[in-house]
Amino acid sequence: MDNRLRVLRAERRWSQAELAERLGVSRQTVNAIETGKYDPSLPLAFAIAKTFEMKIEDVFSPNGM
Amino acid sequence: MTSSLLYTARDIRNYSVFIWWMAASMLTFAAATILIDGSVIPAAAGWALTTATAILMVASMRSYIAFLRNADELLRKVHLEALAFAFGAGVVAMMCYRLCERLGAPKLDVNDGALVLFIAWIGGQWIGARRFAVAEEQ
Repeated sequence: MDNRLRVLRAERRWSQAELAERLGVSRQTVNAIETGKYDPSLPLAFAIAKTFEMKIEDVFSPNGM
Repeated sequence: MTSSLLYTARDIRNYSVFIWWMAASMLTFAAATILIDGSVIPAAAGWALTTATAILMVASMRSYIAFLRNADELLRKVHLEALAFAFGAGVVAMMCYRLCERLGAPKLDVNDGALVLFIAWIGGQWIGARRFAVAEEQ
């Protein structure tokens, strides 16, 4: 699954630690999602989209789309 | 209490509870083993210590399950994979060593199997943590 986490975070000038704090997860989780090593659960994906005030499909997309 | 890279503050707190229960159960286990083996205490006291050890170990298990249920989802994945790795390594080690014993290797007791499980569990956590190691922030 591809995601725009790094771009969206950079637009808001948030650090990984800051985003992790907002989401209630570890910084390693944010990093693993950004680098594509880990796909988040559905509840976390929704929480990420809500944090960025976007639809989930605007943050995440299937590989290569 | 501060967060580490993989553990949130909540995870550190819950994992600390597990570590305390485990340390208490290991101390009680060691004390019971020494006292029962040395016939220092009466049988009734030996049974009481054994029961206390079992209760503390069950408490450790419950605190670990509570830690896992509330853990950060990546951390939970790392720990569950470490448990799977430990279970597999334990089965392989114990089954294969049974064959080695038949070929003349020294006999081991059940504590040695538990040690294999424990080392494989720690090793599995290390492997998982390395797999999701944090790259430089960009």
